Amino acid sequence: MYAALALLAGIVIGLFVQPTVPDWIAPYLPIAVIAALDAVFGGLRAKLDRIFDAKVFVVSFVANVLVAALIVFLGDQLGVGNQLSTAVVVVLGIRIFGNVAAIRRHIFKA
Amino acid sequence: MPDRQPAADGSAGERSDGTVAGRPDGSVRADGSAEGPVTALPRRNPRPALLASLLGDTLDPGYAEAAARRGRVTGPAPSRRRLAGLWYLAAGVLAVGLVIGIAARATAQSAPGVERTRSALLDDVQSAQHRADELAASASDLAAQIRSTQAALGAARPLATVQALERAGGLTAVHGPGLRIQVDGAQGGSGSGVILDTDLQLLVNGLWASGAEAVTVGGVRLQTTSAIRQAGGAILVDNTPVFWPITVEAIGNPATLHVNFVGTEGFGRFSAFASLYGIRFDLTAQPDLTMPAAAAPDLRYASAAPTTR
Repeated sequence: MYAALALLAGIVIGLFVQPTVPDWIAPYLPIAVIAALDAVFGGLRAKLDRIFDAKVFVVSFVANVLVAALIVFLGDQLGVGNQLSTAVVVVLGIRIFGNVAAIRRHIFKA
Repeated sequence: MPDRQPAADGSAGERSDGTVAGRPDGSVRADGSAEGPVTALPRRNPRPALLASLLGDTLDPGYAEAAARRGRVTGPAPSRRRLAGLWYLAAGVLAVGLVIGIAARATAQSAPGVERTRSALLDDVQSAQHRADELAASASDLAAQIRSTQAALGAARPLATVQALERAGGLTAVHGPGLRIQVDGAQGGSGSGVILDTDLQLLVNGLWASGAEAVTVGGVRLQTTSAIRQAGGAILVDNTPVFWPITVEAIGNPATLHVNFVGTEGFGRFSAFASLYGIRFDLTAQPDLTMPAAAAPDLRYASAAPTTR
């Protein structure tokens, strides 16, 4: 409940404060979004599995964003940045799909 | 789907030590919870451990570890831990929401900019083309004025020669009987059914050779310096893009033009293309074709004399 409110508050703040995104962050924003979605769905599934832990949630989100950004940064330096961001999106996307499927099984028992 | 993910449900604790992903013998067996006895045969094509963990371990193993720790360890007072957890949760979820909101905002902000730039460029191109058309029309008008003024001044004899030359050079609008050819690439063909600029050049050269006095390609009148070129998939006639299907018109003596043209290499090539690759190649005789004047030639070395008025 509070989590949903906080999520909504974050989205609203992000939408209306209009922070200017520095240029050097721009390539990592999509990665951060995918990592954020992965964290949200992973947390929801863990909640439904009754093993949710707030610390794990926060730490895994931050760490995933940082690692993904690091991978893409390294890729940019080595000339394979686009491919590596695709790889990050694919891996996190698979996780999102798996977690959403588990949530669906929890909710609909199907 | 569920039977392909043997460890997707309810066995998160078992996976927390990470042993399922790669068994010592390199094979990954179904754990038997869903499909039959535990003594199932090893899979014929063992799924690689990396892919298995990618598809199976969609939940962060940290959750299971934390749950196991909570079960074992008696931590600080439950209410304090609960409060700390709430703070963590609120901060984390707020950060997640911020990231999503900022990204949505940034995307929404950059999209109209890209669209604006694109449409502004398109507008520029269109206005430039419009202006080029206007200038060409005014040049043709001025040329007509010059001719009428010269005729009024009584330079009839030399002017006849000039007019004949201008007509041959495509500088005056003409009409008369002739041929109309419509060509188009094969439908849906990307590799073999494509007509190139060299093919059109051959066709037009065939028309000239068989006695055409004036030729237009896609409505653009050819003059002595005209070029038919290709830029990507587009055909440029005198740097004006023309679009498929392209209509080629030629004015000439109706008795000989058609007969001569059928014997040219261009006609042979296009009729072969039509039968081999299914391109469109329609040749019709027209009783009266009207052609505009070609754009006035660029004078590179001559310049207008200063007006003494």
